[in-house]
Parts: sequence; structure tokens; C-alpha cells
Amino acid sequence: MNKRLWCAMLGLLLAGPAAQAQTAAPAAAVANPVDAASVQALKDMGAHLQSLKRFRVSTELSGERVLTDGQKLTHSANATMDVARPDRLRATMRSPRSQRVLYFDGTNATLYTPALKVYSTVEVNDTLAGLVEKLENRFGIEVPLSDLFVWGTPAAPLDKIDSAMNAGQDFIGDELCDHYAFRQGQVDWQIWISTGPKPLPRKVVITNRADEARPQSVSLISWNLNPGFNDAVFRFVPPKGATQAQIVAPKTK
Amino acid sequence: MKHAFSTTNRAALALFIVAGLALVPLAQAAGSRGGGHGGGVHAGGGAKSKPQVNHSRTDKRTNNVRSTSVNSVNVNKNVNVNVDNNRGCCNNGWDNDYHPIATAAAVTATVAVTSAIVGSIVNAPPPGCVPVNYGGYIYQQCGSTWYQPQGTQYVVIAPPY
Repeated sequence: MNKRLWCAMLGLLLAGPAAQAQTAAPAAAVANPVDAASVQALKDMGAHLQSLKRFRVSTELSGERVLTDGQKLTHSANATMDVARPDRLRATMRSPRSQRVLYFDGTNATLYTPALKVYSTVEVNDTLAGLVEKLENRFGIEVPLSDLFVWGTPAAPLDKIDSAMNAGQDFIGDELCDHYAFRQGQVDWQIWISTGPKPLPRKVVITNRADEARPQSVSLISWNLNPGFNDAVFRFVPPKGATQAQIVAPKTK
Repeated sequence: MKHAFSTTNRAALALFIVAGLALVPLAQAAGSRGGGHGGGVHAGGGAKSKPQVNHSRTDKRTNNVRSTSVNSVNVNKNVNVNVDNNRGCCNNGWDNDYHPIATAAAVTATVAVTSAIVGSIVNAPPPGCVPVNYGGYIYQQCGSTWYQPQGTQYVVIAPPY
């Protein structure tokens, strides 16, 4: 390599950052950060979700916790849910310390911990969206994949999105999906929705920007739209020897 | 925000102190358990031949989770920020079976008044305890002492509320 070529390359290297800075500036300002088609995709998915009458859905989850020094730990959990709209649900939740089953038959919601043979029952005369809201606000209990019962309802408003974009296409398992990315307040989230006339969420990633370590959760979702269960699965019958635990409403600290 | 941070720092300090105190009983528990554990005490039905999770070797530093990092795995729970929701209360994600041995504010008081030392492990809670469901998880409450199930054993925790 001759000396002149070296000089040319050095020149390019030096010019590099300046050139980048020039092109980066205009890219930052987007006229409308909320892409209407991406929001429409959420609407379509929500409408399709609300139209499903009976299904089994399961999720594999990785979540993160941040230690005081900023080190992150990842935990795993999974859940399987048998659902019959408008008001039947059975959710089995598994995580390292416990397996729990939530039964909802349209009148009563029972949370059962098989390893301890302990259950708690509360009266909930409501739909699945109402169950999600009541368990959360009255008892501090979160329903897995509760978004599935909220998307497509007024409880999931789409008018408070700061940024929405189409992030291309991707395969989740063997299924081709559209990938969308949203920003809402301190939360960034992404969703992979199966392409075609029956859009279903297959993957959801949530990034919490409120913490500088940006903890993130990744949920993979799989569907069975022709499940074999009958309505008996939604009814809780206390096993022999099971005891009832008082359920305490969350206290604010 | 500022308030939240100061609370976090205090909690972190308290956790650190408790973690230090907890080392002794944990070490004792680990030592004395060797024989007893092999007996295969399996509490009730559910998981059949599935191996039991054992947290006895978990580093105590894993308890120092900062409260700002609580991350809901449901989109709408995150984005519909709602003043009366309970996010600040119990870190109650369905996936979050992680409950710190000592949670925030209660720590200092608990160390002073509890007879069973926070962090110590027992094979069964004493008689007369009642199961309590708080935030979707079952604890055993025995007066002012609280136990959290951990595998086939129980660990003393600061009261969850």
C-alpha cells in the first residue's frame, strides 16, 4: 500500500464522524412520531382478540430485576390459560418459588397454591376485563397476559402513544409477524403480531425507562384456538385437606 | 421521584444491615439441614416427581432489588399509569414470586421486635400460624412473625405489610 492511499484513508477516517453528525441531525426530527398504521394494527389485533370465544394461550417469560448497584438479574416464569369469553378463566402460573392456579367461573375467583394446599376465594361477578381490574386494584393480584383481555376495550386507550413505528417483519417460531415499537411515557414496548387476517400477539417486550438500567421483560406467546377443555376446568373444588387463607387487600406503604 | 429515591436508599441500607444479620442463622440452618432434607418432605400434591427448587445457596445480595426496577410484564398495566393502582405496594407481578426477605420500611422495626430472626429458616412454622394471602402469595403469619414458603421449608421475612 502506498503512502498516498494511506493518507486518503486517514482523511476518510477523520472525516467520518463529521459526516455522520451532519446526517444524524435531520433524522432526529420526525414530523409525526406516531405512525397511524402501527396504531391501526393494535386496533385490529384488539378486535380480533375480543372475537375469540374459547382458547388456550401460554406464555414463556423472562423478566429482569435490578440490584441496588445496577447489576441485573433475569428471572423466568410461565403460564398457561384456558379461556372462555366472556367470563371464564383458568390460569396456571409457574415460577421458581411457587405454582399457583387461578380459577374464575364468572362468580368466584379462587387462587390456589397446590404445594401448600391453600386457597383464597373472592366474589367477582364480572367479565374477564373486570376480573383483571378487580384482582389488580382490590387485591394486588396480577393476571398473566392480562393485556389479552384489555386490548380492544376502552381500558387500553390508543390515544396516549408518544411514538409508534413499524419495525419490519420477523419470525416468531415458524410464524411470520409484523414487528411494531411504541413509546408511552417512561415505557417502551414492542409487539410481534402474526401477519394475515387473524392477527394475534406472539411476542411482547417491555422496557422500563424509569430505571436507568432499563429492566426489560420478554414474553413469548403461543396459541391454541381449538382447545379440548370443558367448562368444568373453571370451577374450583377444594381438594381434601385444603385450607383457606384470608386475603388481605394491599396496603400502601 | 425525589421522595422515592430517598426511600429506596434507606431501604437499601436497611436491607444491607439485615442481610448481615441474616448470615448467621442462614449458615446454621444450612448446616443443620443436611440430614433432614434427604427425608423428602414434600408438602402436598401438585408437582409430582419434579425436583424442588432450593434457594439455600442463593447469595443474599440478590435481595437488594431497587424499587424503581419493578417491571410489569403487562403492557396496559405499565402504560395506564393510574394513581390508585398498587404498583408501589407489593411488586405484585404474576411472575414476581421474588419477595425480599425484608421489604422496605418495615425492616428496622422488625429486627427489633421479632423473636425469630429475619432470614432464618425452619422446616415448619410453629403451631398456631395462619395462612395469609397477600398480593397473591401465601405466607404464614404467627403473631408478628411472618414465614414465606421456600421449597419444603420456610424463611422468616419482614412483615409484607
